[in-house]
Amino acid sequence: MHTVLLKVTALFYLVGALAYLHFIFTLNERSAKVGRMLLLIGVLLHGAGFVARYFVAGYTPITSLFESLSFSAFAIVCVFLAFELRYHLRVLGAFVAPLAFAFSVSAAFLPGEVRALAPALNSYWLPVHVILLFFGNAVFAVAFGAAIMYLLMEKELKTKKMGAIFKRLPSLDVLDDINYRCMTIGFPLLTLGIITGSIWAEYAWGSYWSWDPKEVWSLITWLLYAALLHGRMTVGWRGRKAAILAIVGFCSILFTFLGVNLLLPGLHTYTNLSG
Amino acid sequence: MADEKRTLSPMDRVWNFFISVKLAIVTLIVLAATSILGTIIEQNQPPEKYHKIYEDWAFALMDRINLFDMYHSVWFLLMLVLFTVNLSCCTIDRFPKMLKVVRNPRTKLDENLEKTLSLADRWKKKGTLPEWAGKYGEALSASFAKPKVTEVDGQVHLYAETGVASRFGVYVTHLSIIIIFIGAILGNVLGFKGYVNITEGESVTKVPVRGGILMQDLGFTVRCNAFSLETYPSGQPKAYKSDLSVIDGGRETVRKTIVVNDPLQYKGIWFYQSSYGQAGGATARVMAARKDGTHEDMLSLAPNEPVPIDGYGIVRGVNYDQNFQGNGPALQVVVEKPGQPAASFWLFQGRADLDRQRADSMIFSFGGLSSKMFTGLQVAKDPGVNIVWLGCTLMVIGLIMAFFLSHQRVWVRLAQGADGRVEVVLAGSANRNRLAFEKRFEKLQTGVKAAGQ
Repeated sequence: MHTVLLKVTALFYLVGALAYLHFIFTLNERSAKVGRMLLLIGVLLHGAGFVARYFVAGYTPITSLFESLSFSAFAIVCVFLAFELRYHLRVLGAFVAPLAFAFSVSAAFLPGEVRALAPALNSYWLPVHVILLFFGNAVFAVAFGAAIMYLLMEKELKTKKMGAIFKRLPSLDVLDDINYRCMTIGFPLLTLGIITGSIWAEYAWGSYWSWDPKEVWSLITWLLYAALLHGRMTVGWRGRKAAILAIVGFCSILFTFLGVNLLLPGLHTYTNLSG
Repeated sequence: MADEKRTLSPMDRVWNFFISVKLAIVTLIVLAATSILGTIIEQNQPPEKYHKIYEDWAFALMDRINLFDMYHSVWFLLMLVLFTVNLSCCTIDRFPKMLKVVRNPRTKLDENLEKTLSLADRWKKKGTLPEWAGKYGEALSASFAKPKVTEVDGQVHLYAETGVASRFGVYVTHLSIIIIFIGAILGNVLGFKGYVNITEGESVTKVPVRGGILMQDLGFTVRCNAFSLETYPSGQPKAYKSDLSVIDGGRETVRKTIVVNDPLQYKGIWFYQSSYGQAGGATARVMAARKDGTHEDMLSLAPNEPVPIDGYGIVRGVNYDQNFQGNGPALQVVVEKPGQPAASFWLFQGRADLDRQRADSMIFSFGGLSSKMFTGLQVAKDPGVNIVWLGCTLMVIGLIMAFFLSHQRVWVRLAQGADGRVEVVLAGSANRNRLAFEKRFEKLQTGVKAAGQ
């Protein structure tokens, strides 16, 4: 039941994303409302699915690739809805909702059965560490969406080919501000995620830092965002540069999350994730 | 600018190099980029493994620049040193300036300052300067912060601020990184990491460290009393436990059953459940009792290993059958007595009575096979770990200070106007989150204006 629920949400995110895309091309207010409603229903069902799965599995169900991808989509939609509520940036939905759909649909094609928990994962640190990082990643995903939008709009502005639509879209400054906001929330979350991971590693493996590929890649991501923050705060990297770094940073997150487990050997590979 | 550059001493140039944020950004990006290498090339593997993957010349080159243990290589550590020096110099350069600014805030809203503030409002009031200064002071105290009052040249200046800590967030964060490095260095110099297998019933006093090059004396004995493995119905391990005892000064001082995620700690040394396995082959437990009841011996027979019994002979376990002749598990033993031909017979598990029928001075009973397990323990001593945790805590506090606090400043200037009314200027600024401050300023504006009406 819960597995079906987790898979079905992909449909809501798909239709939600389409509604937002319709909105960005027509600026039809109703599409944005429909999009938001669909994402809201989707995320509520999704949350319910995770709660049900928690009780069935008996542990925080963010351990297999299926669960991780699904939870990523959940976190992204949550963060996007929070941003929309706060900053009323509906157009961002056209860039973020497809991302949530991509995660949830790739999960939907994976086997979703509840698995036996590996002994190393049996810890209170599992939910703390994983949820902090996934929400951090989701915030960076929103920054990624805003950055893509920034670059597209900037190109349109430069070539002066922009249609009437773009005049009614948020200004580049607003998008740049979103980028900064995301950094200020995402960076502390990423830091907390790495720290809680270290504490857990100290208890499970006897070493808070073992230069395991997953650890190194999370450090790489952290260093990149740290560079972006310093560039922004002191040297004045704004707009285009900040957008490009937000995209590079998110690629690093994607590799930390997926690439490391699928391509590199290491301690974090508990299960055959591809299966 | 050009003139300035020419007059700089070499020392100043070095200093300017180390206090530049550009250097910090470059170091961060170079650290990130080079770190990738160590995740693609598997670290600290035996040389044979690398030889299989890389050509000889490539192996020699990579070995030369320490790519097989790059995070501990000199060049990587030097980059971390550069990073730390840069961080420290930036802090030494900027922190005193910041402290000065914070300690001596601009409490007067002069015209120069007024021009730089985008949030400002001006109005006039009938009445006297002290009267309005008092009212506005109260209004600020109530809705913002208690203002500092300065009177100069017939003008009254009110200055109030909140969230000064925001200015220090960056320094707390930078300090936290240095503290984490100090903790890591202490752990590396004064601590050790090792791995040891202990078979059930056995103990160790030393553990191999640094890949087995050195033996680290624990200063006490650790015994594995028992190991147990719990599995899911699928056979996948669910939990594994080791019952450990610490023997210090000849007596057991601590006994604890450890599992993954729940280690044992004794005298600063931690023992983590890491792996497990079967210790050697299975052995057969055989009880040998003299028929006259004078003596009993518990024998542990490894396959084909002769075990002598005093005043009797030599016993060997040679064969095992799970269901011998349909009578259940049985062990075939060979007994050699001095000067007699070897005798071979089968012992059924738990049926000592059957062996009694054999005409011999000794009765054997087979207690079953036992296979001993070993527990794999990660052993670590890290005196720097608490310093690392202190650094981590400071880092989180620093980031919260830097990103979620905002140094908000508000000024009010009151002056006697030419028309006899009091001219009022209200202005404010914030170093972070200006949007939120704008909203707060609007509220403050209405609140202050309404004061005393």
